[in-house]
Amino acid sequence: MNTRTNESWLDELRSPGPVREVALDDLHAIVQKGLPYALSRWLSPEDPLFTPLVEEVTQETLLRVLDQLDTFEGRSMFTTWVHKIAIRIALTELRRKRWQDSSLDELVDDEENPAPERLMADPQASPETNAERADMLARIRRILEEELTDKQRQALVLLGLQNLPMEEAARSMKTNRNALYKLLHDARLRLKRRLAAEDLNAQEVLSAFEGR
Amino acid sequence: MGQTQNDPPQLPDELIENLIRSLEHTHEQECTCDEVFAVVDQYAEAEIHGDDVARLMPLIKQHMELCHNCCEEYEALLDILEKSNPS
Repeated sequence: MNTRTNESWLDELRSPGPVREVALDDLHAIVQKGLPYALSRWLSPEDPLFTPLVEEVTQETLLRVLDQLDTFEGRSMFTTWVHKIAIRIALTELRRKRWQDSSLDELVDDEENPAPERLMADPQASPETNAERADMLARIRRILEEELTDKQRQALVLLGLQNLPMEEAARSMKTNRNALYKLLHDARLRLKRRLAAEDLNAQEVLSAFEGR
Repeated sequence: MGQTQNDPPQLPDELIENLIRSLEHTHEQECTCDEVFAVVDQYAEAEIHGDDVARLMPLIKQHMELCHNCCEEYEALLDILEKSNPS
């Protein structure tokens, strides 16, 4: 089944009629065999969602593979390329589902158990040390206010505070995962350059946070 | 001074701390998620073959350290390759 060369896969999937059907059936079996290994960290095979998810992802993968056949560049085995497409589809769905479920749990938790207040000062540290740490935190907050754009701040809140998966955060910002990564890269770069310009290093800043 | 209705929400300490921590892995040139996706199959096969992927594809390795989603997808691909074809 998996003894085809990359060229054979491409030829057969591009052929009309039964040749293509046989190749598709074989590819279906390969994806279905591989996916459970990828999903096992996320979902128990005993979970009632497991088997329908594998089938649904397999179907979607085959459609996408046929649609994107011309983009396969032969830099890996064809089946590895197919597996990566299946994983992208499966994990996007699982992340979305996990986030939706955890959002509901948090809603209930928040109502029943309000979050504890954060300790603002380390009782073991001297008043001078606590004052220095508070100054550093205030300085970093000021830098962030000056350096981050509203969009960058929004992305940080969605990902870091509301724990949205990248795809969901991107969707809510009417962009895509790739552009969101670039936006955050720009934010990190700006911040890194600014800290360097102010002669601050990350370790120094982190020690202020660790001493809260 | 109190926060007005138009002020952006204040970023919590933990989020800022994570942001500062990520600066260690921040470089002028970084791959995007799409660029990683384009080669992650090749990257995973190289890893399985025992190649030094950090040296061969340093930008991909760098991205994995920062992007949790891409790293998860890469590890899932490794799981399939290792367990589907155990040597």
